[in-house]
Amino acid sequence: MERVQTEPVAIPKPAARTSQVLLVTDRDKTVGTITVPDPVFKCRDVNVHYGDKHAIKNVSIEIARNQVLAMIGPSGCGKSTFLRCLNRMNDTIPSAVVTGSITLDDQDIHDKRQDVVQLRARVGMVFQKPNPFPKSIYENVAYGPRIHGLAGDRVELDEIVHTSLQRAGLWEEVKDRLNQPGTSLSGGQQQRLCIARTIAVNPEVILMDEPCSALDPIATARIEDLMEELRQSYAICIVTHSMQQAARVSQRTAYFHLGDLIEVGETDRIFTNPRHKLTEDYITGRFG
Amino acid sequence: MPLLEGHTARAFDGDLSALHVHAVEMGGLVLDQVQLAISAYADWLRPQAHQVLERERQVNAYDRTIEAESLQVIARRQPMASDLRAVFAIDKVVTQLERAGDEAKKLAVTVLADSETRGFRPGHAMARDARQLGRLVTQSMRASLDAFDRLDEAAAAQVLRQDHEIDQEYAATLRRIMTRALEDPRLMHGVIEAAFMMRSLERIGDHARNVARQVLFILGH
Repeated sequence: MERVQTEPVAIPKPAARTSQVLLVTDRDKTVGTITVPDPVFKCRDVNVHYGDKHAIKNVSIEIARNQVLAMIGPSGCGKSTFLRCLNRMNDTIPSAVVTGSITLDDQDIHDKRQDVVQLRARVGMVFQKPNPFPKSIYENVAYGPRIHGLAGDRVELDEIVHTSLQRAGLWEEVKDRLNQPGTSLSGGQQQRLCIARTIAVNPEVILMDEPCSALDPIATARIEDLMEELRQSYAICIVTHSMQQAARVSQRTAYFHLGDLIEVGETDRIFTNPRHKLTEDYITGRFG
Repeated sequence: MPLLEGHTARAFDGDLSALHVHAVEMGGLVLDQVQLAISAYADWLRPQAHQVLERERQVNAYDRTIEAESLQVIARRQPMASDLRAVFAIDKVVTQLERAGDEAKKLAVTVLADSETRGFRPGHAMARDARQLGRLVTQSMRASLDAFDRLDEAAAAQVLRQDHEIDQEYAATLRRIMTRALEDPRLMHGVIEAAFMMRSLERIGDHARNVARQVLFILGH
């Protein structure tokens, strides 16, 4: 009987639909909030040209500490190119020209005084194909700390190797065979070894470029589980072709299309109610 | 229906459309059940009440089938965004329809009941009340199923705007039949039963409203 007294519910105006999903024309402006409360990276108007090809167009985005940002989009959309801007990996490509501002902890990473080797220690990278050095498991992890002078003596180095392997979830599997070659491990183990190698030099950010695409579902689940642990200490930026993986591991998602950053927002929203039609079309499998 | 179509994997269009079409078919069946049950109760027609009970099994079968189909779509296609909302909402619509079917069944069971405390045929005034409330409820259900069929936002919003009419009519109907009970306490059993029947009709109206809400959900509101 109580419900009889209730007022009619408020109804959304039908006109609201037109501004809901179907933002197609406004390509210069990213849909969503590019800023975050505690940014480690701030990128503004980043453009990348490979010769005549304009690969990244005016991309502005911030990357938050202790969060996973997933970058998704079709092949050739520029997501890997953008990822490589963050630790200046594009410097190694002669025809690549990067413009715009990218700051790490408010310091311009393109500043002349910026040591690129140092930058790549602070912004580590894990690649699609596991690429351990042709050395022992121990040496794979010890190499970075040694060249960066992070360990005073062998005891400290052992400690770093132990901690890094443990944080990468690999210690229990390799502790009795640290002198065996890194390449003797399975694909999933090799990828975790590469993650251990990355975190051994105490980075702030870990970039991952399709880190699970060469792995089976179980090895993938281990890496994803590891990402959740690692984000307690690092910012993580992952490029993935698996929408399900992006939805599982990230807190924010960015959608790239033909070099434009189309939409960025909370992962919870992007995969249930994206605001841009291109995002909607891509994640529902209607692309092209 | 463009919203559920256009996937690169065209079989996905077929899966989603089949799910939607089956839910719309179930809606048509439930609407028919509701109309038949109202008529069976207001005019005290036992054959129609029997028919409602027989077809209730079909309603339940639709419920099970569509649930299984939804699970398949989720497992095989991992729908996202509007597709995910559609699968989720279709499942909820089916639940609402199944419950509306249950309310229709209650009307039919009452017509077929044969005891001293159940199965009171409504008098002229009460039958008129049942028809009047029933008309509003079936209108609402038809409109919300139409909105669901076409995924029509304006039509769904219209159903929600008119929902209070059912509530007002239900309140007025209850007041009238309670007054009759006060005037003649010998009618008490029949009045209580009639109040339950009106309640069932009002619940069917609620389910129709909830279907309309799911339409808006699919459309991103």
